[in-house]
Amino acid sequence: MTQDSARLSDRVSRRKFLSTTAVLGAAGLAGCGGSSDGGSDGSASDGSSGDGSSDGSQAAEGDTETATGGSDTSLLTAEGSSTVYPISNKGSSYWNSNAPPSDGEYWGSNEEGSVPGWDEIETDMLLADYFASQFGFEPTEQRSQAPFQTTVGLSHSGTGCQAVVDGLVDIGNSSGPITAELGWSEEKRDNTVVDNVVGRDGQPVVVSKDVSDAGVSQLNGDQIRQIFQGEVDNWNELDGVDYDKEIYVIGRAEGSGTDTSFRLNMLGDADASMEVDTRQGQNQQVAQLVSQNEGAIAYMALAFTSDQVLPIAIDFEGTLYEPDPDAEHTIFDSDYPLNRDLHMYTLIEEDNPDGGGRDRREAAFMNMFLTQFGQTVFVEQNNYIPLPTSDLEEFRSRLEPLKE
Amino acid sequence: MPTVTDGERTGLQTRARRQAERFRDFVDDTSPEALVTMTVIAVSLLAAFVGFLLVSSLTVVPFAVFLLASGYGWFRHQEETALILTLTTTVSTLLILGLIIVFIFRESIPVVQYESATVFGVSVPGLRMFVETRWDAVASPVRYSMAPMIHGTVMVTVIATAVAAPLGVSAALFLSEIAPDVVREVVKPGVEILAGIPSIVYGFIGFTVLGPWASDQFDLSGQGTYLFVGVVVGLMALPTVVSVAEDALSSVPESMKSGSLAVGTTDWQTMTSITLPAAFSGVSAAVLLGVGRAIGETMAATVMLRGVPRLTEPLMNVFYGQETLTSLIARNYGEADGLQLDALFVAGVILFVTVLGISIGAQYIEWRMRRKLGGEV
Repeated sequence: MTQDSARLSDRVSRRKFLSTTAVLGAAGLAGCGGSSDGGSDGSASDGSSGDGSSDGSQAAEGDTETATGGSDTSLLTAEGSSTVYPISNKGSSYWNSNAPPSDGEYWGSNEEGSVPGWDEIETDMLLADYFASQFGFEPTEQRSQAPFQTTVGLSHSGTGCQAVVDGLVDIGNSSGPITAELGWSEEKRDNTVVDNVVGRDGQPVVVSKDVSDAGVSQLNGDQIRQIFQGEVDNWNELDGVDYDKEIYVIGRAEGSGTDTSFRLNMLGDADASMEVDTRQGQNQQVAQLVSQNEGAIAYMALAFTSDQVLPIAIDFEGTLYEPDPDAEHTIFDSDYPLNRDLHMYTLIEEDNPDGGGRDRREAAFMNMFLTQFGQTVFVEQNNYIPLPTSDLEEFRSRLEPLKE
Repeated sequence: MPTVTDGERTGLQTRARRQAERFRDFVDDTSPEALVTMTVIAVSLLAAFVGFLLVSSLTVVPFAVFLLASGYGWFRHQEETALILTLTTTVSTLLILGLIIVFIFRESIPVVQYESATVFGVSVPGLRMFVETRWDAVASPVRYSMAPMIHGTVMVTVIATAVAAPLGVSAALFLSEIAPDVVREVVKPGVEILAGIPSIVYGFIGFTVLGPWASDQFDLSGQGTYLFVGVVVGLMALPTVVSVAEDALSSVPESMKSGSLAVGTTDWQTMTSITLPAAFSGVSAAVLLGVGRAIGETMAATVMLRGVPRLTEPLMNVFYGQETLTSLIARNYGEADGLQLDALFVAGVILFVTVLGISIGAQYIEWRMRRKLGGEV
């Protein structure tokens, strides 16, 4: 029997098979390798954009001498929090495609409709051309060719803050204040970076569908604190709740921006202790866990709620904030305690015009978010909370000195 | 006693002298031009390495010299160039590994100092990481205990081994000794292909299907159990175990089996008393490789576990899965900074030491079996 097998093995030797598999596998890997090459290309271009910006500083010096010519048009890079990412990335996509005003859906207006906030823009320029030209860039007048390209990477708040401080990217997206993310003093923050707030994020507390069906539609601040600090284990231990189910408490990655601001705003202290059943890094994972487990409670960005993941109303010191946008007090209000600012930090550099902490590319890109158009399309349509008019006017006025 | 050390010393001295002689012979036999080329290659590569470590922009200069010298040497003195190139690549491989080891150990020093505990009046660095069980990187008291993660890794590894070892070894035995050739020729490569499925695929199935299912069936609060992570990781390690164990079993010399059959044993008796014992070292190496995979498995564990470092109650409760050493690193590297980041390096050091221990153990078993069986296996 074994001799037979020896013959058979001779015919189709295992080694031969393995080498065939290896070739196939290598081919498969080559496919993957291609895409990872793409990734490393991206990082390589990040690196070169670092070079580019230092070149750019020279170019900017040249600018001041000649007072004409284009500004630095190297790739504008941003990176950071998954919470700010939808806003930042959608803005970047709109910017890069540089839609013409006849588009109607992404920019400008036609007979089918016009973009939100168009009446305060009313231009015949292309999207990125319009915002960039205000800061001295030459319009390309060519769709898909913005005056400078933008790209947004996805990582974490802390990583984004560190990346902008290290000069790896131009804009650091963060869902928590940089003082908390990097353990800085406020003075260090003021000397190192500029805080550009582009929108607000409410952190609704969400429950799974079975909890909602059992009649839990609102909790008060103290009950939520008890749940997240492990003082109650079952839903029926809460006043006014008749649902016998163990509470499955979902927290966020230890030390993340979301985690820190929840501890600060809900538990009273950024270092408050927590007792949770699981911790997840990404909003998507939290939403998935809430939808596939019973008795779950979590907190996450509003953008990820669904009919399985339902936000509940919260009673803070007598004021009831409801998820319904038409209610008297809603979780969209700026005084809702779980609301937090969404930051795009830029580094204060010596060659920035007027020492403003933004170069012209950063200012032009940022300015897009601070219009009625930007707030509606990039912030509100992503289920975040748009900035009130007074904030918009104030933030826009800070960019004014950079305009040409 | 003194004579022994003297003898050792003279032995060392003669050996050193012999080496020096060989070196001198080599220098005498080689043309001066080739020697210069070799020296230039070695020195420029070393300079490039130092430049790289110092993040100097001039690194490119010695590296270009190295390339030029190698190119020149390859055409003029191929033998000597090949010798020096293979030598330098070997040295740099070892050097890089050494630097990585030094780095992970150095990065873990701050948290080891932070987690000092006093025993009998003596402060032992790092001890508190193993005697306390609290991990909390935010709320005071901030503690970075490794005990919960070590517990988790042990749990997952034990369950995975319990799944992979019996299944793997019996499958290997079947494929090698019992199965008809056609079955073997189809099944063995098929099993090896299974080894190529990325772990995130298993993890994703575990997260979306097994997790919620276990949560319902066992009436657990939420999902994430050591039991199912262990089962999944065991299944992932299975192809490795089957493949390596089958190789070991089929490499048992035919003469041994034939001899056994000739004295009248049945096939089964030959398997259990000749083939398996003879291939024992290879089979245990297979199981140890599987264990190594289970310990190092990251993606599936990260996705399926709860990510809250704490011990389960009681300790052998497999229905709650908290965190393993690898998933701790994978889950927290993005957010961690300061001591928390250093604590992740401690987890890396523990993994490194464990895997080192396992491979030394596997080598030792192999060495002992070889001595016992006379080197045929």
